Amino acid sequence: MTAQIAERLKYQGEEVAMCTNPLNDYFAMGGFNPKFESNCTALWRGYVGSWEIVEDRLYLVGLSGTIEGGADATLATIFPDFPDRVFAHWYSGTIRIPQGKQLEYVHMGYGSTFERDLFLDIERGVVVAIRVRHNGKAESDNSPEGYGVSAMTVFPRTGKGEGESA
Amino acid sequence: MIYLYWYLGIGAIVLAVVYGAHYLTKDKESDSLRDLLEAVNPDRKKLSYRILNNIVAPVLAAVLVVAVWPVAIYMKIKEMLQKKESYVSTEEREFAVEREHLLERLTVQEIERREVVTDPLNAAPDLPFGHLHAAWREFLQGKADGAELWSFSAHWQTTWGRKELRCGYAVVQDGAPGNHFLTVWKDLPEEQEADANTKQVHVD
Repeated sequence: MTAQIAERLKYQGEEVAMCTNPLNDYFAMGGFNPKFESNCTALWRGYVGSWEIVEDRLYLVGLSGTIEGGADATLATIFPDFPDRVFAHWYSGTIRIPQGKQLEYVHMGYGSTFERDLFLDIERGVVVAIRVRHNGKAESDNSPEGYGVSAMTVFPRTGKGEGESA
Repeated sequence: MIYLYWYLGIGAIVLAVVYGAHYLTKDKESDSLRDLLEAVNPDRKKLSYRILNNIVAPVLAAVLVVAVWPVAIYMKIKEMLQKKESYVSTEEREFAVEREHLLERLTVQEIERREVVTDPLNAAPDLPFGHLHAAWREFLQGKADGAELWSFSAHWQTTWGRKELRCGYAVVQDGAPGNHFLTVWKDLPEEQEADANTKQVHVD
């Protein structure tokens, strides 16, 4: 298992990492799933979504991924009538936004811990509460700031000659 | 002395069997995989690494197998048993609506009226269940004539102990809940994870 690349969220004018995958719920609830292809151990879900909170509502505003067969996926691949912005009314749950310096790197899922977690509680796409959890203070000033993935393997795609490791 | 010869002889046979099994079952390292591994670990290209990896390590392993072959047999049996155990996977419990989860009997029209999604930025279809409207229509197609629709709310614990809340609508036939359509599917935290700086905002 490898630490996973986070979703992106524009929140209060800032671009942050979002360690929650609301699109998974859409697929699980019967929404159209174009079957993404994973070509990287740090992105088993096969896509990265860009999200935005506007007036306390959660929107999906972009998507980058690859579907089975190698074609690029965009927001229009899943929501052809809403290629620019999709209200995530299907999502109820808690969005986690790690903040501050890294306390511990965990090379699995979204397991790494940070000085703070900002939680946005969402009910049917609407933010209903905001909470902050303080997890401690990083021992070193050199601890990395912000969410990241330290290593991954990219599988080459047949015929396209793509592939690299980091 | 004769016992030593016997011991080493059996060790040599074990080595031959282990080597043969390894040779027959190992996957060939593909060019692309080799490129990837070399990119991750540039030392793999060095002569010293290749001598260690291709000559020293196999020779040492062979000597060890001949010298302590009972351990090698024990390890092999243990590995085989562990593999067998790992194949016995725990299946995730499948969620199903039960009678005690049912809340209210509703008509299709009543449900569709209450589930219309509206968005000030017009980022959802102005239809019942919004982006999930097609899934809802498909759900209705599977409903038998005469079957009822009920709203439900269920607390559910997965095989792995995660607590969830699932709400939605279920088909009820002769009093027995069947297929369901989810409107809420969320994890329930064990405890309120944080309370500092909590802000409550208005829900539409």
